[in-house]
Amino acid sequence: MKVRIDKSACVGNARCWAVSEELFPLDDDGYIQVEEFDVPPGMEELARRGARACPERVIEIVEDDA
Amino acid sequence: MTEAATISEAVSRPAHVTDAVFYDFDLFHDPGLVADPHQRIIDLVENAPPVFWTPRNGGHWMLIGHKANFEAARDFEAFSNEMVPHEQLQAILAQMPPDAPRIPMAYPINLDPPLHGKYRVPLQGVFSPRTINAIKDSIRELAGEIIDQVVPRGQCEFMAEIAEPLPVKVFLNMLGMPLDKLPEYRALVKAHLSEIQPDPSKAMQRLQQVAAIMRDTLIERRDNPQDDIISMLWQVEIDGRPTTLEDLENYGVLLFIAGLDTVMQGMGHGVRRLAEDAALQEELRANPDLISDATEEILRRYTFTVPPRRVARDMEFQGVEMKEGERAMLFLPAADLDPVEYPEPDRLDIRREGKAHIAFNAGPHRCLGSHLARVELNVLYEELLARVPSFRLDAARPPRFHGGHVIGVEELNLVWES
Repeated sequence: MKVRIDKSACVGNARCWAVSEELFPLDDDGYIQVEEFDVPPGMEELARRGARACPERVIEIVEDDA
Repeated sequence: MTEAATISEAVSRPAHVTDAVFYDFDLFHDPGLVADPHQRIIDLVENAPPVFWTPRNGGHWMLIGHKANFEAARDFEAFSNEMVPHEQLQAILAQMPPDAPRIPMAYPINLDPPLHGKYRVPLQGVFSPRTINAIKDSIRELAGEIIDQVVPRGQCEFMAEIAEPLPVKVFLNMLGMPLDKLPEYRALVKAHLSEIQPDPSKAMQRLQQVAAIMRDTLIERRDNPQDDIISMLWQVEIDGRPTTLEDLENYGVLLFIAGLDTVMQGMGHGVRRLAEDAALQEELRANPDLISDATEEILRRYTFTVPPRRVARDMEFQGVEMKEGERAMLFLPAADLDPVEYPEPDRLDIRREGKAHIAFNAGPHRCLGSHLARVELNVLYEELLARVPSFRLDAARPPRFHGGHVIGVEELNLVWES
């Protein structure tokens, strides 16, 4: 599973970070620091919850092909 | 005065406003809104068009649906935060006599990108989640002290005794402003927010008063930096140049207006709900871990700010014809009660997951103080539930509310067994 973030559209709600500081690190201004990453095994549900928590809807989950 | 007498005069309807998008609603004095705000907002969600024009308060658009609010908030080219376009305003200011008192500007809230970003970036680190989490314990201490003062009494007027002093003290502490001027500040903010049809010259005078009250502190911190926001803002750069006294006054006006009234009203709406919902109180007392989720769901269920925008060009927005220069209100309280986004929107479900609210707005103007507000609300609910036994509304003195850009609680009398 991959997470893809439209970083330029982040407005600093930091709700993803509230779900997982590890998956969704912030810069010093409180905006998302990462753009695209592979979700470590076992953290898929956290990644999904982090994506759903974004009021700006800029976090996309790319599921692995079955 | 009767309720009806306070409703503003209706202006005539422009030709492009069709019957389908016409709806008569006074954002400031609608009787239903003033009687029980969110009950009336649910009624609007169910019965008003998702985008409508009201003839009250000079005539303006109201964006009700979540989709309308979300798109308008993010489309800053169509919906401008510059109620007077920036160039036009600069031209007006340039014609003022050189010795006229300066008019402070609430930058960056009344600027559009890209200029908006240049003034916002210096504030972001100051209000980041990490910076705010670092002062959480001091907020908790202050909350505990304030609440403990009323506990033995068995009753309190929550707004004046808790909701007002807590966030205002936290914020003024952060800024490094003297607390003894608190009543003066509050009076200015209240006048600013309650004016029905803002009178530009009065509004400017008020901002000048706000700046004048702060000026001594601003200059003092420039010369003797301390561990506070004002001192920090003297150290930052705006677009590569050092900040000036004018910049600091502009920031001061913004932070002053935004920090004194909003979170206080959020507490009022949330505590009113808790006071009417004994089961929720019991659940949260038994499971304090749920309070942070409850804080979010209360924000969604009782969203209370209504940011204004200027329609920046003639356009069709979601099938509705709008004209350049018209005003549009992002009615976020209704957006967060839209059944398309939130099934059973009126149900307060602290286990609701998967739908984020926009109580702090969307787009580049997302509430800068949202992380501070969240911590304050969360801490307030935690400390109140831990220190005050089961509380309820005082049946003899029901709560009173007001409409406007910050829909608020005027009076909230609580009682409990002491």
